Amino acid sequence: MSRLEERYRLLLRLLPAAYRQEWEDDMVAAFLESMDTGDPETTAYLADYGRPSLSEAASIVALAVRLRLRADTSPRSRVWGHAVQLATLMLLLTHAVMVTGSIAIALWYSGKLAWLPAPAPEFALTTPASIWSTTWNLAGYAWLPAYLALVLGYRRVAQAVALLAIVPPIITTAMAQAVGDEPLTVSPWAMRLVDVALLLAMAAFPHGAAPVSRRPWLLALPIGIFLVALPLFILQAVEPALRLLDWPGLLCAAVAVAMAVHLTARATGRSTRTLPWSLAFTLLAATALVLRAVTLPDFLDQAERTTLTTIAAVQVVAVLTVGVPLAVSALRALRNVPSAPAATPNPTTPS
Amino acid sequence: MTEPAFFILTALLDAPRHGYGIVAEVADLSHGQVQLKIGSLYGVLDRLVGDGLVELDREEAWQGRLRRYYRVTEQGRATLAAEADRLAANARLASARLHEQRNPITGTSS
Repeated sequence: MSRLEERYRLLLRLLPAAYRQEWEDDMVAAFLESMDTGDPETTAYLADYGRPSLSEAASIVALAVRLRLRADTSPRSRVWGHAVQLATLMLLLTHAVMVTGSIAIALWYSGKLAWLPAPAPEFALTTPASIWSTTWNLAGYAWLPAYLALVLGYRRVAQAVALLAIVPPIITTAMAQAVGDEPLTVSPWAMRLVDVALLLAMAAFPHGAAPVSRRPWLLALPIGIFLVALPLFILQAVEPALRLLDWPGLLCAAVAVAMAVHLTARATGRSTRTLPWSLAFTLLAATALVLRAVTLPDFLDQAERTTLTTIAAVQVVAVLTVGVPLAVSALRALRNVPSAPAATPNPTTPS
Repeated sequence: MTEPAFFILTALLDAPRHGYGIVAEVADLSHGQVQLKIGSLYGVLDRLVGDGLVELDREEAWQGRLRRYYRVTEQGRATLAAEADRLAANARLASARLHEQRNPITGTSS
């Protein structure tokens, strides 16, 4: 087996076992044939050093998510699919809530909110260099319509709009780091990677499968803005120490609080209906921890690195304290969910 | 019917084809407009087989691997014919309207 085949088979492990049993060998044959350039030397090189392209990998990820949500997959896969949906919605909701908060911050920096203390000079808003940079900066606000589109059932629109929020920051970060305007840091890239994963996870919303309950998710937006984004913004305005909370830190704090609320609610409620939520929180906690861990090296160049590292350690401990018991109980509960797919006739038996 | 499913069924009309054969034929038929990824192909193929529109024709050994050839079923032909009729009717409708309407810029029939 060539290295290329090994890599592709590893990617295919994302697909449900029953599906792989039926299609894996055929998919591998088709993929390897698609990598055959006709030139034996190049093909041999690709067999050793080639890997599936990003678009090829994305097609497998999208297929895996769709299959896991399909009605004829196993109950366990459906629970996971529902969990991915919930985690995607929650992360997207967080984005939508925080960009609304950032509009408030932009207004504050530009002096439009006179009732708040004036921003520190280092935060003063600099005039954008051009209309392009303004447009680029506004791109992040696309998370708000992307969230609304997804909740209202327009998955492809949501993905297209989310692309508007993801691509410009990638370009500006790459350019700023390349020309030395910004230090070479991991944080922006780690966050963009999470955004790309979010974009792919939106494939978990196929037509007709597990429709989203619109009302609670739409209500969650103003509630999040008034109970989280605006208080956080005001607290950061009056308490400079809170500005040390970066995006991974905020995510850790939000996930830890949400998991604590969920655990409390679950103690009184029905565990079968809360399992996808528990798994969704486990996914989010893992994302927050990875994001926190990979962005830690960026603190080394900061003047307040000791404080920042201590805060980060507190965030990790908080997420682990609530997240580990939740993850353990969720995975135990998952064992009681049947993993066998529903019995279906073999569709590819020669006739 | 989605565009990839339409092209996959069309690609299988003249002869049974294997996975990559379908990818190549669809790219050819669509003049490069539809470039199927393997994940997309097997997502659609799985659905078409499940719906009884496509079935396995035969398996052949090729370079130490088994190649599966797929063919379109009678039900698949009927479904594709209905979809082609629907698309053709839509296209005729648009063409007729285009010919009826005067071009608002030049004032001539477009």
